[in-house]
Amino acid sequence: MELDWSVVLRSWDLLWAGTRITLLLFGLSLVLATVLGLALALMRLSRFWLLRWFSIGYVWLFRGIPVLVTLFFAFFVLGRRFGLTPVQAGILGLGFDAAAYKAEIIRAGIMSVDPGQYEASEALAMTRRHYMFRIIIPQSIRVIVPTYMSNTILVLKATSVAVAIGIVELTGITRQLSNSTTQPIELFTAAALVYLALTTVLVVLQGVLERQFALKT
Amino acid sequence: MDWQIVWESVPLIWKGASTTVSLFAWALLIGTVGALALALMRLASFKPFVWFAVFFGWLFRGIPLLILLFYAFFALPEAGWVLSPFWAAVLAFSLWTAAYQAEVIRSGISAVEPGQWEASEALGMSRLHYMRRIIIPQGIRIMVPPYTSNAMTLLKQTSLATLVTVPEMTLLTQRIFSNNFKFIEPIFALAMIYLAMTTLLLIGQALAERAFRLRV
Repeated sequence: MELDWSVVLRSWDLLWAGTRITLLLFGLSLVLATVLGLALALMRLSRFWLLRWFSIGYVWLFRGIPVLVTLFFAFFVLGRRFGLTPVQAGILGLGFDAAAYKAEIIRAGIMSVDPGQYEASEALAMTRRHYMFRIIIPQSIRVIVPTYMSNTILVLKATSVAVAIGIVELTGITRQLSNSTTQPIELFTAAALVYLALTTVLVVLQGVLERQFALKT
Repeated sequence: MDWQIVWESVPLIWKGASTTVSLFAWALLIGTVGALALALMRLASFKPFVWFAVFFGWLFRGIPLLILLFYAFFALPEAGWVLSPFWAAVLAFSLWTAAYQAEVIRSGISAVEPGQWEASEALGMSRLHYMRRIIIPQGIRIMVPPYTSNAMTLLKQTSLATLVTVPEMTLLTQRIFSNNFKFIEPIFALAMIYLAMTTLLLIGQALAERAFRLRV
C-alpha cells in the first residue's frame, strides 16, 4: 500500500475552509453554552422551586440524550419551524447540549466557595445579586477553570457530529474528499492532526488560565 | 401530533435498540479490559510502558470519536483490513473507552491511601498480590461515579455509528422520518428511549455505590 501525502496539500484550501466552519460552530456554541449554563447554575441555586426544578430537568434531559439526537431536533424540528440554516441549527443543538454540562461545572464551582464568604457578605449588608457577582462568582472561577476547559475540549470534538445534519465542517469536508479521491488514510490522518493540534492548544490554554487564576499568597 | 407512525415502527425501533445495546456492551467490555491494562502500564516503573499509556491517552482523547469511526470504516479497508460496519464501530468505541476509562482507573488506584501500599509491603505481599487483593478493591469505590459517567457518554455516542451505516436505533429511526417526513414524533421517541437507557445506568450507579460503600 502506497501512501501519497500530496493529496493533503492539494486539498488544503478545502480542509482549511472546513476548519473555519468547525471553529465557527465551536466558538458560537461555546458562548451559548456558557451563558445558558451560568443561567441554569444560578437557577439551580435559586430560592424559587420552579427555577430549581426547571434547571434539574434541563440537565437530566440533555445529559441523557445523545448530542446527535439534539442536533436532529434542532435541524428537523426547530430548523423547519423557524427556517434556520444548518449552521444556525447546529450551533443551537451543540449549545443546548453543552449547556447542561457547563451548568453542572459552574454550580459545583460556586458551591465550593467557603460559606464564610456568604456570611461575611451578608454581614456587610450586600444584596444577594451584588455579592454573587462581586464576591462569590469571582472566587469560584479558580475552581471552575480546569473542569470548564476539559469540557470545552469535548465541545470542540462534538462539533464533528454536525456532519450528520449536512454541515460541511472539517469532518464533513474530509469525508467528501476521501470519497472523491479514494485516499481516506492520508485525509483522515490530516483531519485527526488538525483536531489534535486544536485540542492541544486548548490544553495549553488551560494551563495558562490555571496559573492566571491561581491564588497569589 | 401523530403517534401512529411511531407505534407502527415499534418492531424496527426494538431491533435498533438491541443493536445499540450490543454495540455498547461489546465496546464497554473490550474498552474496560484495555483501560485496566493501560492504567497498570501508566503506574508501572518500566518507562516505555508509561510513555505508551500517556501517548495512547493523548491520541485517543484528542481526536473526535467520529474521526476514529471514519478511520475504522473508510481507512482500515484501504490498509487491507476489512471489518463489518458493526465491528469497525466496536473497534473505534473500544479504543475511545479504553483511553477515557484508563484515566478513571488510574486516578481511582492513585486515590487509595498510601498507608495501604506501605502496610501491604510491610506484610511481605507481592505487588501483584496486593494490587489485586488490597488496592484495586478499595479503588473501585472511587471509580464507580466517573466510570458510570463515561459509560453513559459511550451509550450516547453509539448513536454516531449511524454515520458508518450500523443499523442501530438512530439509523433505523432516521429511516422512519426520512420515509414519512414526520420528524417530531420519531425524534421525540428516540430521545425518550436514550433517556430511559441512560437513566437506567444512573440507577445502576446508585446501586453500585451502595454495594461498595464503606461499612463502619
